[in-house]
Amino acid sequence: MEQVIINGLYLGAQYALIALGLTLIFALMNVLNFAHGQMYVLGGFITYVIYGQLGLPFPLAVICSGLTLAAVGSVIERFLFAPVIKRSAREESTMLLAAAVAFFLDAIILLLFGEKQRGVPKIINGVFVSDSIVMPYDRIVVGVVAMAMIVAFMLYMQYSKPGRAMRALAQDRTAAQLMGVNVDRYSTIGFALGAMLAGLVGGLLVSITGVNSGIGGSISIKAFLMVMIGGAGVVGGAIAGGFILGMMESVGLTLLRNFGDVTYLVIFALLMIFLSIRPHGLMGKPWG
Amino acid sequence: MTARQKLGWVIASVAFLLVGVPLLISATGRTDLYYTLTTVALLSIISGGVWLTFYIGRINIGQGAFALIGGYVSAILVTQYGVSFWLTLPLAGLFCAVVSIVIGLPILRLRGVYFAMVTLTMTEVARLSAFALPITNGAKGIVNIPLPGAVTLFGVTIIPDFATLTNPRLAFYITSVVMMVVCFAFLYRLVHSRVGKICQSLQQNEELASSIGVNITYMRILAFAVSSFLGGIGGAMFAAIAQSMYPSSFGVQDSVNFMLNCFLGGLGYVLGPMLGTFVLYFGWDLLFKTGDFQLLIYSSILIVLMLVLPNGLLSIRLPVQKRASL
Amino acid sequence: MKDILEISNLTKRFGGLVANNNISFAVKEREILSVIGPNGAGKSTLFKLIASFLHPTSGEVRFRGQRISGLAPHKVARMGVVRTFQETTIFKSMTVRENIVIAHHLRSRASLAGFFLGTSTAQQDEEEFARSADEIIDFLGLGAYRHEMASNLPHGHLRALGIAIGLATNPQVLLLDEPFAGMNQEETKRAIEIVRGVRDRGITVLLVEHDMPAVMNISDRIVVLNFGEKIAEGTPKEIQENPKVIEAYLGVEDTAIGI
Repeated sequence: MEQVIINGLYLGAQYALIALGLTLIFALMNVLNFAHGQMYVLGGFITYVIYGQLGLPFPLAVICSGLTLAAVGSVIERFLFAPVIKRSAREESTMLLAAAVAFFLDAIILLLFGEKQRGVPKIINGVFVSDSIVMPYDRIVVGVVAMAMIVAFMLYMQYSKPGRAMRALAQDRTAAQLMGVNVDRYSTIGFALGAMLAGLVGGLLVSITGVNSGIGGSISIKAFLMVMIGGAGVVGGAIAGGFILGMMESVGLTLLRNFGDVTYLVIFALLMIFLSIRPHGLMGKPWG
Repeated sequence: MTARQKLGWVIASVAFLLVGVPLLISATGRTDLYYTLTTVALLSIISGGVWLTFYIGRINIGQGAFALIGGYVSAILVTQYGVSFWLTLPLAGLFCAVVSIVIGLPILRLRGVYFAMVTLTMTEVARLSAFALPITNGAKGIVNIPLPGAVTLFGVTIIPDFATLTNPRLAFYITSVVMMVVCFAFLYRLVHSRVGKICQSLQQNEELASSIGVNITYMRILAFAVSSFLGGIGGAMFAAIAQSMYPSSFGVQDSVNFMLNCFLGGLGYVLGPMLGTFVLYFGWDLLFKTGDFQLLIYSSILIVLMLVLPNGLLSIRLPVQKRASL
Repeated sequence: MKDILEISNLTKRFGGLVANNNISFAVKEREILSVIGPNGAGKSTLFKLIASFLHPTSGEVRFRGQRISGLAPHKVARMGVVRTFQETTIFKSMTVRENIVIAHHLRSRASLAGFFLGTSTAQQDEEEFARSADEIIDFLGLGAYRHEMASNLPHGHLRALGIAIGLATNPQVLLLDEPFAGMNQEETKRAIEIVRGVRDRGITVLLVEHDMPAVMNISDRIVVLNFGEKIAEGTPKEIQENPKVIEAYLGVEDTAIGI
């Protein structure tokens, strides 16, 4: 039982971090970033190159992943999303653009890194063993770092000037503009930050699960699931959704082991029931 | 154009597709085109379903799930229960319609991005389930599905056994085109009757539609069920043609592509998905020669198109209007 | 005259907030009854409760003795209680005439399948709807805009289109949400004539409105809400002299609540 909870927390921390990036972009620009999973994969490959191939320190590699993705994110926002949003009122167009960007990043990743599964040397060897828990040290480190990042992100959003500006922007774009928030600038910063989070998690996790050019789509889908559980566009919701999904996956893998890998079918069925009771998720605001 | 002229055009186009194209193909010897054109016809049917959900104001990225389910239903019925393929075709559609009703009840209340998210997730969950469930035979999939058998009525053979044909590809082509024509005739009639107007009223303002007495829950479910039915029969046909069905037969990328087909063709025109599928599929095919760069070029073109025509590819309306006579 | 709508002990809470508290009154057949009150008095909530777009926490609304609270809005519309909306709630990408024709939905005798197949009943329905739509267009003076996209209509005519959509459903009770808001004197005068005309077609009119002079001019009776409660009910003259009403409105002016 303890093992299940620990696994759930470990999964939940990384999931929450992924969902945070997605929900931030959604909250700021009402864009559903299909390319989020691809950004994660790109982050993974950058860490793979810097740490795995060049042999530079792992933290440096992860930071590079984050920074690169922040740059990629701001470029995508500034030159693709911003102009399209400005000239189009339909939310379908941004969705289409996001899909195209996802394909594009997929293509780039495939060309640069190939389709092989890549792994890196373990960052720490050894396994923590107690009466009821078995947990490799590297997973513990990754889980703790992920949680620290979540806390840092929340503090940043709560207390820093850009954080406050972005929260105002998320709440009411027009009002924020009237209050003197530079909407364009903070949209870019927000998008970059969201992409950076994806890159950081991708970089972190390459040390555990490795990275593979084909997994972008399913990472995005997991992020969507979390956002639906927690409520779209709400920071607390993304974190709750992340931990809930992590926990469900962990419990599901244990309980449903005998029935094959139907965890996600069960989770989806539960989500359907949940959405019929709370269509806007745990913390999302009602809309429409 | 008068109704008579329209009818004339339709008959001429259908005749061209059913007789002219096969003649041209046999003249040029490009029999590989049968496969391509069959695929386009079937993908248009599946995209036509997505288009209908767009028509009631929902962004549906879940059609891949229904194509997958439809394919499996037909494949399982044919291989394990010996049911005639021609019977499994409507059954696959109906099964998908029932599934869509169960899923639709909770999720059709969601709008915009939220509905898009749930449906996209559904596609992935369908794939994962196909891997996991015993009945779908996991990653090994269902293979060696026999070709569609004969149908006889009162001793008269209506449809010959495909396995006995010298050119089953032609038979599949004819079947798919007929299905496509029926499907779009159905959608055309639906959209141009009052039912279509009611769907449109949903798309434009659900609250107001409700206040003038439209049962919006029922209409949404109806449209989604029809959409999923089309996804199901399309998937079943693909399973029959490929004679195999795998969890990866339809995935997220397919769902997204169905949506793209509708966008490209134009959401306001019932023949839009047909045109969109044709252009996208052939475009993709043409890029095949670029090898590794296929996806890169394809996605770059999409991005550029969005930048140039930010109001969706809807702005490409003229060609669709011209084709509306088809 | 008979009561057509009975609102009894209607209460609506949103979490801790009481939007409507124990409101009771009756609407008589073929009268024009206005609900007024300062901003935030709970008028909109009441309106949605009557049209069943919201369901009450307790209490009920009866239409001709039959309970309608808790039913889906389209069922309530089907029974004959139809609401219009504030501002621009119309089918924007349809023409004015299409808007009105589609709003005849409730009058159809043919089923969906019938319309799909184009049966003779469906064709008769279509002809009937077209005729009736043209009549409504003329009645509301929208003739010049018949084939205009609804989104291009000038402001005052949008309101008329809203009423036209309501009329097309053949209602017995029409709920009008602020029909005079944002209109100048001339427009208001015309709108008042329209609302009277609607009543003269045999339709009971219940309206929520801010424009005091217009309300006093048009209403047979008035119900006043303040902080979610009914504080007065009576003819315009009675209301104007009611000290509670004066206090409610003055109080608002003093502290500028909700402006």
